[in-house]
Amino acid sequence: MIPRLRPTQLLPRAALTVALAVATLAPPSLNAQPRPTRPEDVRLFAITDARIVTVSGMVIENGTVVVDDGVIRAVGAGVEPPAGAWVIDGSGKTVYPGLFDALTTLGHGSEPAARGGFGFGGGGGNPPDPSSHSWGPEDRPGTSTWLTAADDIEADDDRFESWRNAGFTTVVSTRHEGLVPGQAAVLNLGSFNRPREMVVATPVAMRVNLQDRSRTFTGYPGSPMGVFAYLKQLYYDAKHYDDAWAAYEADPRGKRRPEWDMALEPVRLQFDEGWPALFPATSRSDVGRAIETTREMGVQPVVYGAHGTYAAADLLEDAGISALVDLDWPAPPTDGDPDALPSLDQLRLFDRAPTTPAALAEAGVPFAFYTGGLDQPSQALAAVRRAVAQGLSEDDAVRALTLSPAEIFGVADRLGSVEEGKIANLVVASGSLLDEDARIETVFVDGEMFEAEAADAEADSEDGDAGGDEDAGPRRGRGARGGPGARDAGPDPAAPPVPMSANKGPYRDDPVTLIQGGTVLTASHGTMENTDILVRDGKIAEIGTGLEAPGNATVVDATGKFVTPGIIDAHSHMAALSINEGTVNISSMVTIEDVIRPEDIGMYRALAGGVTTINILHGSANPVGGGNAVIKLRWGADAAGLRIGAHKGIKFALGENTKRDRNPDRYPATRMGVQDVIRQGFMDARDYMEEWEAYEAGGRQGVAPRRDLKLEALMEILNGERWVHSHSYRADEILQLLRLAEEFGFRVRTLQHVLEGYKVADEIAAHGAGASTFSDWWAYKVEAYDAIPHNAALMTERGVLVSINSDSGEEVRHLNQEAAKAMKWGGLDEEQALRLVTLNSAIQFGIDDRTGSIDEGKDADLAIWEGHPLSMFGKAVQTYVDGKLYFDIDMDRERQAAVEAEKDALVAKHLGDNR
Amino acid sequence: MIRRRSTTALGFALGVAAAAAGGATQAEAQTYAIQGGTVHTLAGDSFVGTVVIQGGRIVAVGPDVEPPAGAEIVDAAGKHVYPGMFDAVSGLGLTEIGAVDVTNDAREQGDFNPHLQAATAVHPATEHIPVARANGIAITMAAPQGGSGAIVGQASLIGLDGWTVEEMGIDPGAAMVVNYPSLGGGRGRFGRRGAPPGGWRQRQEQYEEAVARLDEWFDAARRYDQAMKNGAEMRRDLKNEALAKVVNREMPVLLSANGERDVRNAVEWAQRQNIHFAITGAQGAWKIADWLAENDVGVIMSPTQSMPSGPDESYDEAYAAPGKLHAAGVKVAFATFNSSASRTLPYEAAQAVPYGLPHDAALEAVTKNAAEMLGLDDRIGTIEEGKIANIMITDGDPLEIQTQVTDLFILGRGVSLDNKHKSLYEKYRSRPGRRVVSE
Repeated sequence: MIPRLRPTQLLPRAALTVALAVATLAPPSLNAQPRPTRPEDVRLFAITDARIVTVSGMVIENGTVVVDDGVIRAVGAGVEPPAGAWVIDGSGKTVYPGLFDALTTLGHGSEPAARGGFGFGGGGGNPPDPSSHSWGPEDRPGTSTWLTAADDIEADDDRFESWRNAGFTTVVSTRHEGLVPGQAAVLNLGSFNRPREMVVATPVAMRVNLQDRSRTFTGYPGSPMGVFAYLKQLYYDAKHYDDAWAAYEADPRGKRRPEWDMALEPVRLQFDEGWPALFPATSRSDVGRAIETTREMGVQPVVYGAHGTYAAADLLEDAGISALVDLDWPAPPTDGDPDALPSLDQLRLFDRAPTTPAALAEAGVPFAFYTGGLDQPSQALAAVRRAVAQGLSEDDAVRALTLSPAEIFGVADRLGSVEEGKIANLVVASGSLLDEDARIETVFVDGEMFEAEAADAEADSEDGDAGGDEDAGPRRGRGARGGPGARDAGPDPAAPPVPMSANKGPYRDDPVTLIQGGTVLTASHGTMENTDILVRDGKIAEIGTGLEAPGNATVVDATGKFVTPGIIDAHSHMAALSINEGTVNISSMVTIEDVIRPEDIGMYRALAGGVTTINILHGSANPVGGGNAVIKLRWGADAAGLRIGAHKGIKFALGENTKRDRNPDRYPATRMGVQDVIRQGFMDARDYMEEWEAYEAGGRQGVAPRRDLKLEALMEILNGERWVHSHSYRADEILQLLRLAEEFGFRVRTLQHVLEGYKVADEIAAHGAGASTFSDWWAYKVEAYDAIPHNAALMTERGVLVSINSDSGEEVRHLNQEAAKAMKWGGLDEEQALRLVTLNSAIQFGIDDRTGSIDEGKDADLAIWEGHPLSMFGKAVQTYVDGKLYFDIDMDRERQAAVEAEKDALVAKHLGDNR
Repeated sequence: MIRRRSTTALGFALGVAAAAAGGATQAEAQTYAIQGGTVHTLAGDSFVGTVVIQGGRIVAVGPDVEPPAGAEIVDAAGKHVYPGMFDAVSGLGLTEIGAVDVTNDAREQGDFNPHLQAATAVHPATEHIPVARANGIAITMAAPQGGSGAIVGQASLIGLDGWTVEEMGIDPGAAMVVNYPSLGGGRGRFGRRGAPPGGWRQRQEQYEEAVARLDEWFDAARRYDQAMKNGAEMRRDLKNEALAKVVNREMPVLLSANGERDVRNAVEWAQRQNIHFAITGAQGAWKIADWLAENDVGVIMSPTQSMPSGPDESYDEAYAAPGKLHAAGVKVAFATFNSSASRTLPYEAAQAVPYGLPHDAALEAVTKNAAEMLGLDDRIGTIEEGKIANIMITDGDPLEIQTQVTDLFILGRGVSLDNKHKSLYEKYRSRPGRRVVSE
């Protein structure tokens, strides 16, 4: 592992002077150690007659670089090699700044491959190790902020040498285990048997993972939702810690000393010095989540991964965020089933990921490359060439390998370009780095010269196709069913991107729409025959007969059709990255708001069932779940554009789901315990509230109380800012929750499922809770055995405000039918039935001032039906959200055809014709 | 399609058979004349007329039929008379509470249990039967369940009324349930639910092994049957004995397959085995509708109200599939494959109507089509003389939610439409206002 310095054809004319020059010119290194095995080196070099790509300035066509004791002493066309320098003839060669790999784990072990999905299980998989089981943020799961990649570098990591042979002189190294594995450092890949000499700068960033690939802990957080909440809490804790220490240090006398916390100390430093958080983000919605989460954390993110950020360049640019782009371009997996095709979203990612660098450059987003999932660093340049083939300029490409990462990590004053005074990290290549046949011949690191050894033949064969697509044979299912004589057209992933069809967004966005002549079921004031609805600027402007169409109106003929308010689903689990944080019995710190997934095609499918608004709820794994998100189905909008600012809510759950056996055991296991968990939670929240009230009453003097996201959400329930929506089945548990709420002085907003609600309808009505139930599901578990399809009607009859919900991606698509079942079973009239899935749900979520019925002034959330919507034969043909046409049964066919054509083209390009 | 022998192989004491033999219970002896309703026989045009039930059978149907002396007159004026609905594959009587294992008798251990019969475990007092009945479900094929590639056991054709399963039974061994091994791919391994684990080649190998195992069982049954017929002295083997009926085409197979590729493979396998079968599930069958029609394959569809098979499939894929199959000439039937949801059978059919299945075809798909596919149509499926009297009377279109079933006859017996749900409804509807003693 000793750096090699061998005579080569490059070696100099003045070799005889070398030993002397070294002896006289090299000052002792600051942290010099005895180097018993290392021969004395040349420290003064001159590379002459070379093409020099400085990156920071102009390309010098025929110039000299002088390297003196580790730094670049001079660069230029007219520079003479100093006396005594080891002169390298650079004619025909090109000199670059040393390549900079913007994110690695070099020296700290390899990161395990990503598991499918998030791989969370809260006890699934490996048997939990009690010592690493986390019961909440206080256990600081997967957190080692105090570790820095500059420490404990594994000198025998053989990746150092292969990276250097590929032209990388510098890497950002990180630890990778857990969720917040520690501080990143910039390392030079020179004398890696003397690790301390490698460190250029530390810390330069704090790495964040959203998945604990190494499984350093079990338990909380057990979902993406929990991870976001955890990250926020950790940084809130650090902020509080920082304030507490600052106050103490300003005047320690008479104060209780804050407890020292090794996990929070480094974050204090991060706040102070402003280094960024490395935050993973592939898609546009990931970027949105990174922005929102780091805003709360109080740090600036640098996103990494970034394959799908071709679609998020505007977000990054607006927020001033840099991106680290993984050069391991996604590609269809090998060993593929010929009949199983990737989804459109996956194909688009395969197709567009290499366009990301060009898109970021175009938008002015600073970005750098990293080798990421590549098997060999020698594949990096081929991968960069793919980005160049997709429109990235060669200059920008080289910059993203050199100066840009140096800038992003705050070391551009010493690295990243061929400039006088900078660290002498250089690459001498046989030609332009981005030429396919260019060879990296010599590498300088900290002024030390290394001959680059060609990577092994196997790795070289990957050249020209970084994704390993030459391996596409088995990927296309060789040996699978294929017609005789079928010709294999072969994939061509480097071809220009396939144009994307418009598969999202509204079909029409008209300022004025007149829906004429329909039978209008208002849900608030009866059914109106042959009635017109004028929609202007997203609102219902006028309802009447014979309305004049304004000149700019789009007229929709609804004659013979039915118009209803857009359906509202009071209980949905779609459009979220995760649903349950069931690792703890109170998970009020998490919220669906953090994990909205706007890519979920389920939203469009619900639109096709006349649905315009859904309430996404946390699951029922624990007595106190997490926050909900009420969104409108504005298909194609970002998470922020889906939210409608509804009153905050939270999911509670009672009964079987909360108390079933878990590994490890989790309290509660009985309905007694469920009640106890909730009561204890509110008692804690009361204390917490008092603490804050005292602080407020005292004029906010001194250090604010520690913000606790878990108790904060419970406190919001107590002071009415957050509504409880509680999963419940049995009459007895329903009653107990109502009484407990009364004990703490709040009202349960809705009981969800509430299948035995009909048994205690009077009590529910007296308490003032709403009820949201299923139409006719029953007997799937013991607590559902007394469910009856008359539940909605019976509760309505007894004065409860009732809605019917889906809790299902399929059921939501025909909630109109589910409402009609309450006419069959229990005899509700048409408007009562329709209200179950429109106005009543709107009231339950506090959005009835803007949606839920067809009334002038409300949002134009409308569905048009062919056939009566309370019939089995009614079919939604158009759905409007805020007056925009998001579903149209005819235009849907065109969109579907376009999607299929795009998919065919993507499949041909990335998998070949003969799959 | 072949006709099966109408006698059951076992001496199963059928309600109907018993009635015919004169050993009838009181209810079975009842004679009814349903008068004045619009009769939809599903065997010809509708008419306003009379249906006479006697001894468990339909004995007369027509516009001008006179009720026999002593018949109980059922006034159906202004109402509609239909065949009772046939939930072609369900778990009725086999599953009480989904989440409670010990209430499930649908799934036995082992993959090769051709000798097991669902009727052995059907619980006549299950709460699910009266609930299904209240919505017009008169008969079902109660079917055992198993894994991919399994010869699961025999589905039993039962009427949804009887004090004992003997009184309910029409045919305990009405069909053999075989789950054709899946190669995956229907949903795609990129889909959320994905295909079986393992790489493609591994899956291919597993698939081929699974098919080879099925072939071995079928070959063994043929050898066994031949040996028995040749009078060989050998020990009776219940499994081979049961499968022999299948290889002899005496017992049809409910052959489960979902994705397009699996359906095609299953059909080709069944043709190779020369068995009488219908495909169940059939989610992706619409993609090969013409081929299925050419091959005269009937399908018993998985629930229409289902999500599309992949993220890029059209939103209405499952809604439109029955219509596409029907248009191509494939015989389509519906089933719920469920117990608690059996009452929603008509809605699975109705859901397909606005998306292209003709209304009459939808009605046939919940009454007679599965009976025809399985060779049961000599006894059930329509209102015709000589058939078992499964008849429902409604106040409207049975495919519509708001329609109420007012009367139901199963195996010739007028049955109660009361059930757990109705009684709980009535009980709590009459609950007095809260009676809390104030402090």
